[in-house]
Amino acid sequence: MPYTYLEHEADIGLEGTGETLERAIEAGVQGLLDLMVDTETVEPVENVAVSAEGTDPATLFVALLNAVIAERDITGFFFNRFQVNEIDQVDGHWRANGILHGEPVDFDRHAVGNEVKAATYSGLRFIDQPDRKSLRCVLDI
Amino acid sequence: MSHNQTKDRAEESAATEKLDNLAVITQTLSPIQSGKHCWEIAARPPMRVPARIFTDWEGMKGLLDDLEEKEWSALRQLTNVTVLPGIVKAALAMADVHPGYGFPIGGVAAFDVETGTVSLAGVGFDINCGMRALRTPLTRDQLIGKEQALLEGLYADIPAGLGSTGKLVLEQEELDRILTGGAPEIVALGFGLPEDLEYIEEGGVIQAADPEAVSATAKKRQRKEVGTLGAGNHYVEVQVIDQIYDNSAAAAYGISTDQILVTFHTGSRALGHQIGNDYQPILEAATKKYGIEVPDRELICAPIQSPEGQQYLRAVRAGANCAFANRQMLAHMIRQTIARVMEIPEGEIETLYEVCHNTAKQERHVVDGVERELLVHRKGATRAFGPGRPEVPERYRGVGQPVLVGGTMGTMSYVLRGTALGMVETFGSALHGAGRAMSRRQAGKQWRSDQITRELRDRGILVRAHGRRSLAEEAPGAYKDAERVVQIMAEAGIIAPVARVRPLVCIKG
Repeated sequence: MPYTYLEHEADIGLEGTGETLERAIEAGVQGLLDLMVDTETVEPVENVAVSAEGTDPATLFVALLNAVIAERDITGFFFNRFQVNEIDQVDGHWRANGILHGEPVDFDRHAVGNEVKAATYSGLRFIDQPDRKSLRCVLDI
Repeated sequence: MSHNQTKDRAEESAATEKLDNLAVITQTLSPIQSGKHCWEIAARPPMRVPARIFTDWEGMKGLLDDLEEKEWSALRQLTNVTVLPGIVKAALAMADVHPGYGFPIGGVAAFDVETGTVSLAGVGFDINCGMRALRTPLTRDQLIGKEQALLEGLYADIPAGLGSTGKLVLEQEELDRILTGGAPEIVALGFGLPEDLEYIEEGGVIQAADPEAVSATAKKRQRKEVGTLGAGNHYVEVQVIDQIYDNSAAAAYGISTDQILVTFHTGSRALGHQIGNDYQPILEAATKKYGIEVPDRELICAPIQSPEGQQYLRAVRAGANCAFANRQMLAHMIRQTIARVMEIPEGEIETLYEVCHNTAKQERHVVDGVERELLVHRKGATRAFGPGRPEVPERYRGVGQPVLVGGTMGTMSYVLRGTALGMVETFGSALHGAGRAMSRRQAGKQWRSDQITRELRDRGILVRAHGRRSLAEEAPGAYKDAERVVQIMAEAGIIAPVARVRPLVCIKG
């Protein structure tokens, strides 16, 4: 998955890239999931729906990352993958929904990583080229 | 306070040249003669006030280099803050300053409550994150042979790391009472001692908090997280007092050489984080609605007196109370573990003090001879009230508030006290920790967790973490030298050192 972590002294910059907005968002979310847990140790046993909205693709990205962080606490799951179902734009509002795959926390099997407090608007950027979309923000660790 | 004038002039001209070359900030930079280690970037539009940095020339050089080389620069973030409406006197950076999101970490900014703004990045996502120190009747000798048992006990008893849950599972009504009532509500439930409360900033509760300003998602996330430590730079540490610098303040604080302290660092957990998430779009809309120009998108804010600003502040107070409650619950649990392992009564483990370092609080300060009502944002900066302030517990009032500064798991931490000069220069604020010098990614590449564990064990420090990368990412070498940043702030007169403490046993999330 084409995501990159960017150097930031206290926190971590995250950039997701893909041919489409859907793929770029999925890449970014994968970057988040890989920070939280070694996703190789998590089985995709159950599906959890998430949705988010923003005023543009960049704030939509941040809102979706934060929705994923929230679902981890609410469900008590670790997730290993995320798929976008749909992105639409209505009246200047961007909305996305998708499915997280994962299972309940099992400390005997799951190799725990970072607790990400939030995705922030810092360093927020959306690059929109015909064959390449890129989304970036700073995660508060 | 002596100054080497020639050296200062050379430094000044080098710094000015550097800034001019940058064309990012073209202001002049000069050491302020009134105080040592204080640098000022003069206000030029759109800056409303100057930016002031408390650091030495070496620190200033590092900040200037970052401005040229790094995408996220603490100096740029600090000058961005000076642009916010209603800011008073100056945007301030403490010696442990490093880049954050929007605000720099180690940043302080005060706003007039009538004309000013409240900024999300000035509070942060971990609302009211802070430190509590417990003093024990134990001395170093009594711990010999018990270190491993303390490590295992704290690791097993204190929920920490991503995915951990607390012993309390709260229904919404109970959680709402905590959001309004803070630490006293936890004491009322039977956890901890009533006398703890006097030694917590604000007595462990901020009034006018509103659970209704906090989303259902935030409350759902927090259901099982009261009494959890978290991860990242959060920790619980058994420490020994290595040196006393100020006997009368140490006597007031009830601490002496060789005494064992237990200090922990944590905040408002998922509820605080979610308040940040929820208000990010709300404050972005408010920024547009009120026509506030912000140089960084994360600096979204609202006028303090606007409905959005008031609602956010009510939520922030609820988040702050959640952090107070969390630390009170943890104090109870840590006390139980220490008492069990060391076979001493729980009541003999007392709260030395609890400080907060991610807050926006309404306080009265004298600015240019006039007493004003201000909203003081402290992002990674500790309140450090000097002698005489009524907010400081009576027992400590004569010497000033204890200021707890965390080092790393391999280096010294400090107990400092607030000063009268700090009240004048920094709105009674000081540094909060060593400050990171290296990114987590870089640290993760440079060190391995098992190597850190071994090296520290050889130096008599036992460490254990819940997260697989925590020890490498939190490696002592990834941080600035706490001793140096404390010394700079002490020489600047903003704080006065009281004691130095050495780590013995440390648990990380």
